[in-house]
Amino acid sequence: MPLPRRLLVANRGEIAVRIVRACRDLGVEPIAVYAPVDAGAPHVRLADDALPLPGDSPAEGYLNGPALVELARRCGAAAIHPGYGFLSENPSFAAACEAAGIAFVGPPASVLRMCGDKAAARAAATSAGVPVLPGSGAVSDAEAQSAAEAVGFPLLIKAAGGGGGKGIHLVRSPDALPGALRLARGEAQTAFGDPRVYLEKWVERPRHVEVQILADSAGGVIHLGERACSVQRRHQKLIEEAPAPGISPELRDALLESAVRVARALGYRNAGTVEFLLDGEAFFFIEVNARLQVEHPVTEMVTGVDIVAAQLAVAGGEPIPFAQEEVRHTGWAVECRISAEDPHGGFLPSLGKIDGVIEPQGPGIRVDSGFRAGCTVSRHYDPLLSKVVAWGRDRAEAIARMRRALAEYAVSGVDTTIPFHRWALEQPAFLGGAYDVRFAEEWDGAVPSQEAERLAAEVAAAWLRRKAAASVLVSDGQAAGPASRWISAAREEGLR
Amino acid sequence: MTFELEPLVGTECWRLVVGGRAVPVRVQEQEGRLLVTIGADRVEVGVRRALPVPSRRASAQNGADRVEVRAPMPGLVVSVPAAIGEPVRAGGAVAIVEAMKMQMEVASPTDGRIEEIRVRPGQEVAGGQVMVLVRVSAPGAGEEALP
Repeated sequence: MPLPRRLLVANRGEIAVRIVRACRDLGVEPIAVYAPVDAGAPHVRLADDALPLPGDSPAEGYLNGPALVELARRCGAAAIHPGYGFLSENPSFAAACEAAGIAFVGPPASVLRMCGDKAAARAAATSAGVPVLPGSGAVSDAEAQSAAEAVGFPLLIKAAGGGGGKGIHLVRSPDALPGALRLARGEAQTAFGDPRVYLEKWVERPRHVEVQILADSAGGVIHLGERACSVQRRHQKLIEEAPAPGISPELRDALLESAVRVARALGYRNAGTVEFLLDGEAFFFIEVNARLQVEHPVTEMVTGVDIVAAQLAVAGGEPIPFAQEEVRHTGWAVECRISAEDPHGGFLPSLGKIDGVIEPQGPGIRVDSGFRAGCTVSRHYDPLLSKVVAWGRDRAEAIARMRRALAEYAVSGVDTTIPFHRWALEQPAFLGGAYDVRFAEEWDGAVPSQEAERLAAEVAAAWLRRKAAASVLVSDGQAAGPASRWISAAREEGLR
Repeated sequence: MTFELEPLVGTECWRLVVGGRAVPVRVQEQEGRLLVTIGADRVEVGVRRALPVPSRRASAQNGADRVEVRAPMPGLVVSVPAAIGEPVRAGGAVAIVEAMKMQMEVASPTDGRIEEIRVRPGQEVAGGQVMVLVRVSAPGAGEEALP
């Protein structure tokens, strides 16, 4: 099947905008869907048409599989792109699309089911000769103690039926095992409707590296290189880069080759990501993310490949549009995730109306954004606002450009993670490239510089002066020119 | 050094123009305090008027015949060697203030008579706070009144 004439984008925010843009490049008509609160959002405005989702609850619409299939059928879309999150890794939704004769842009239901079952994915990796962390299969309470001794402490209890950081418990000693097991099983049951848990060895200070793969229905599998994603907080990534700094060529080759072997063992199709933990020179398979990843742009920047376009091609039954040898890696790319969170307040979500934004531009900068001034950040969705990606001929140039971009980026109305990123890009550990998953913890101890405190005092003084002026100049409240400063002075006099 | 805030975008984003350079900042007003975000840092600033600037209207009301004697710096009033109605010479101490472990005399700038005392020993004063009012002696009359 060639490219579809119309495609339904079953997502929102920056990833929906990203998919709409790929459609434009390919001459495919993008059709957006939206919950009531997203009316007028960028993904709605950029699409050819936008269909309202049924239901009043903002979250339920994007998760309503039958409604999405029906909307696609009604508007004549031959394909649905699920983006990430929501229904992107839901086997039932993929199966429902197939049953309705609509191409699901992602792996088939059988592959999604295997990738979603962490124990099955581990077994596939083992069968492909790829190392996994020492661990158990699904364990009963009775088996747990002996299985734990075999794995060794410290260890993690993980839910067999799900991911996303839920149901994960760290156990440092045998006596803590029964209690943690009870909690993990309860959480797994609640979150995934599946109480099965398994044990996995815990690595104290690992690095997180993943490999982008593409696979077609004819059995072709290639990789697009690796990404380093160790800047994380509560298992959520904050900064990613490609290639991964500080790994030897031998280790890189082993990772890339292992990722392709895992994909083959799973019978993988479409775009996916094989995740590894690195412990020194040793590496271990963790899981496959069977979807387009948030951080895919860093790979696009260094390879020049449009991953979404490749997804559409292979979803239509075409072979991967290029061979492994044709993929050239040039330069370095870094991505910072800009989320509506307060980095100075424990990264709590920051809700409110965005009343102004200036996005960075210029050489080497790409901004994938899903919001604009006037948008309201609500509690219903993921707080990711946009992603800034910087490309340079080498890592130093990419980082310098990212610093410049973050200094240009202004968001008014909500807190964002920009201050965290500006901190991270100055840290010797990050600049040296040898950072691990504990890197972001250092942020919590950071104190304001003396320079910042001095400038803040000047800001406060200037702020109050403007405020006094603005209370007289009710007409604009804007520029305080020389005249308004006279008025301001007179006003202050009048207050005494 | 001069500094100025220029609007950048929205209600919160500004440029602080200071000493020949411009720094983008974000300012939020929260319960009478300012949250200022500069680069990676956030600084919370509490603002209060530290220096009551001399008021033209007040001096006009007082007339030219009254002078306010102000604390030159924030500190602790050690003693007030003056009493209401007493005469005082220019340069004569009307209060002693301690700050940074140093004591200093606060002098009347003019000959006159103590009209009002607004502080007492042991009291904290802000820099610029009025401590004593002195009624300026009429030319001639003042000299006569002093011993």
